[in-house]
Amino acid sequence: MSDTLLEIDRLSVDYETARGDLKALRDISFDIRKGEIVGIVGESGCGKSTLISSILRLTAPNTRFRKGEVRFKGQDLLQLPEHKMRDLRGADISIVFQDPMQTHNPVLSIGQQMLDIQHRSQAGKVEKRARAAQMLGAVGIPDPEARLEQFPHEFSGGMRQRIAIAMALMSEPDLLIADEPTTALDATLEVQIIERLQELQQELDCAILFISHHLGVIAELCDRVVVMYTGAVVESGDVREIFHDPKHPYTRRLIDCDPGHIKERARVLPTIPGEVPDLANLPGGCIFRDRCDQAVPRCASEVPPLSKLKEGHHAACWLNHEEVHQ
Amino acid sequence: MSKSRSELGQILHGVSRDPLGLMGLIIVGTILFCAIFAAWIVPYDPVGMNIKDRLQGPSAAHLLGTDQLGRDTFSRVIMGGQVALKVALPAVFGAMAIGLTLGMIAGYGPKWLDNLLMLFFDTIRSFPTVMFALAVVALIGPSLQTVVFVVMATSIPTYGRVARTQTLTLRNSEFILAERAMGASMKRILGVHMLPNIIGVLAVLAAMDIPTVIALEAGLSFLGLGVKPPTPSWGALLKDGYSLIRQTPWLVVGGGLPIILATLGFTFLGESLRDVVDPKLRKQR
Amino acid sequence: MTLLDVKDLQTSYGQVNVLAGVNFAVEAGETYALVGESGSGKTTVIRAIAGLAPAQGGSVKFDGKEIRGASEREMRPLRKDIAMMFQDPIGSLSPRLTIGSLITEPYRIQGMKDRDMQAEAKRLLEMVNLPAHFADRYPYQLSGGQARRVGVARALALEPKLILADEPTAGLDVSVQGELLNLLNDLRERLGLAMVIITHNLNVVRHVADRMGIMYLGRLVEEGSTEAIFDNPRHPYTRCLLSANPEPDPDARLERIALKGEPPSLLKRPSGCEFRERCPFAQDFCIQTPSWEVDNGHGLRCLAPLSQ
Repeated sequence: MSDTLLEIDRLSVDYETARGDLKALRDISFDIRKGEIVGIVGESGCGKSTLISSILRLTAPNTRFRKGEVRFKGQDLLQLPEHKMRDLRGADISIVFQDPMQTHNPVLSIGQQMLDIQHRSQAGKVEKRARAAQMLGAVGIPDPEARLEQFPHEFSGGMRQRIAIAMALMSEPDLLIADEPTTALDATLEVQIIERLQELQQELDCAILFISHHLGVIAELCDRVVVMYTGAVVESGDVREIFHDPKHPYTRRLIDCDPGHIKERARVLPTIPGEVPDLANLPGGCIFRDRCDQAVPRCASEVPPLSKLKEGHHAACWLNHEEVHQ
Repeated sequence: MSKSRSELGQILHGVSRDPLGLMGLIIVGTILFCAIFAAWIVPYDPVGMNIKDRLQGPSAAHLLGTDQLGRDTFSRVIMGGQVALKVALPAVFGAMAIGLTLGMIAGYGPKWLDNLLMLFFDTIRSFPTVMFALAVVALIGPSLQTVVFVVMATSIPTYGRVARTQTLTLRNSEFILAERAMGASMKRILGVHMLPNIIGVLAVLAAMDIPTVIALEAGLSFLGLGVKPPTPSWGALLKDGYSLIRQTPWLVVGGGLPIILATLGFTFLGESLRDVVDPKLRKQR
Repeated sequence: MTLLDVKDLQTSYGQVNVLAGVNFAVEAGETYALVGESGSGKTTVIRAIAGLAPAQGGSVKFDGKEIRGASEREMRPLRKDIAMMFQDPIGSLSPRLTIGSLITEPYRIQGMKDRDMQAEAKRLLEMVNLPAHFADRYPYQLSGGQARRVGVARALALEPKLILADEPTAGLDVSVQGELLNLLNDLRERLGLAMVIITHNLNVVRHVADRMGIMYLGRLVEEGSTEAIFDNPRHPYTRCLLSANPEPDPDARLERIALKGEPPSLLKRPSGCEFRERCPFAQDFCIQTPSWEVDNGHGLRCLAPLSQ
């Protein structure tokens, strides 16, 4: 598997708190191949943010890596010395954040900020400026040369997010982490950003880890999808498999809940009743058991492993095992 | 009533969990205790002279020695604390109450009133405190009340401005809009919904302000413009100590140490209060 | 019966015309959705209706009474009938009050002090499916979804005739979003109230709204029944908005109509049709200013409408 770029292998991460350890990530495994777009879907508290900060190793002081590896091009990032990690961030792995209004330094011009992030390059100032303008043009900012002089507040939210993407892609990273990059934007701008990302991804051939709770965006953009629930992967696979033939009840219910999925006008929308379990005090067995309408006795006693159903489709649910055994 | 008590309890609990806050709490508590029970604590009459025992060093009889008139320094330090708080507390809380009221009116009222009040604040602020104090003392003579008046007048703008800024921020927040949408009266919006969110910030400011006021009172007394002798005051002690420093260093220690301690104590308490009172920070605890 | 009738509503802050002509009506018991991009003036519309934002021109009739420009005193009795829900679920709750006192606040404001506040709090919490012990909690201890429910409970306390809800599902997870919309819908049916909902989630609109209006630069550009607009959008902007709605199906490939550029600044309103510069269907004659035409309950502001 030489084309594997990032491999998360049985990663478990806790937060030490006064209430005890919060089990933020438990036994997470999935991989991203070169040039692939992988989407992560999950609701608040599913561990998306912890996952991103673990990959970049920008974690809060009370974070404890309990187990597992984060291998980037075969190298375990969790073991890397800090200065090596710093070289990696922004060069091989870049990130675009959720809120475009807070990503940029308000007192520096966009051009200055785009020069600053090229600090690793040996090129002269003129060359760097040209590169910055070229990237702005590539994300669809009209008249990029002139706009380099402008300050963040002179751009709209959609433009700022595009600038953030331009900055993230400037170093031609192998992996771009996009943390809900369209959540703060209107639908029309969201579509613009997604289309732009798709184009640039093909041009630069970088892999994208795209985090979103917007199923429509995931369906449109991603090649593969990882579904997370309270700190664990419950299902992963090809985007068509996940949306057309989900094998975990949570995935199925989540897709059902999306009003965009319901073609007929419905007055009563489907929901997932119940509460997300407390991360400090997890119940035994399957974590989704209490909210699952298909639970069997085995779900209460044993944690279902994330097992392979077929090539490129994994799910953590006992129902699939019974199907297999029968 | 039980709710507000538990909130105060929560705040005290929060402060005492922070080491600096605990230290501040202990120092301030000690100062307050000594000031309140000064009459019972002092071993000697703080103004009683005894020329025979003048300018003594520390001993079992006189913990901090005696001054040039044979008065017990320790007794004068304790009594001086009472005087300092008699100035600082009414001045600071008076300024806070007036500043809060004016600031909230400026922040919530019509624009012209805001402009008028800001002009008023800026006018007061443009007087240098010490010069203003000298002028007032020259006008109505030195006394405890004069010092209280000067300090109060000069600190009103600080509280007023902070209260105004807070009010302006809160005024546009969604929960105030929600109250307006329900038809809440101005009295209710200001009293029930804004005041509790402003007072915490001002209380922190006040705690940090008390040492400044104590120092100011000491300074005025040092210049002979504060409380009249023979009333004991930390500033007066310093002044006596300063002129007698070649004979005995203990008077300077007696006057200076409590000022330093009070400053540190109130500042620690204020810093710690600021962290505890802020609901956003409290959430993270 | 028409409960709310908004005609040619105008709002400006200084030189900036935030609202430049908004016309729509809401029947009793009906759900009306206002959609549009950020900055299109949706929030200003409902705030102007509730008298929380200025409205210099036009008319707002509630229950047949003109309320535009009404004083706070004139509005107070109407506050019982018009309730609001704000965008930020936690930020719209007074931070130092308990949930119990927050949801009974409307009774205190309206001078119904003789009510048993504890019993009312319990009843309201039950109505929005929150446990009774939540009455003792503070806003910062709630999740977004729980705070939303508290907002609903507070809005319903006085049994209003109209609820104005600004982005009631913003920031909620899909599973929780459905619960909230079902709750609102259920209460709407049981209590017979009308709702104006602001949202940019078109999927939500399709399921909950009877009628909808599309806003652009402080104007309604199209308005009509939800079905008619989804099936047959007449205004190019509406068509663009609808096509910019990614579907949760990897095989669904909508023919997407690209919208050029970004919304223009309110300070520099374009001449003629204000959508002209971004419109993929613009014609030469679009430099003229389109007027608001209503045909068979379907309002439109376009010189070159898309065919039926």
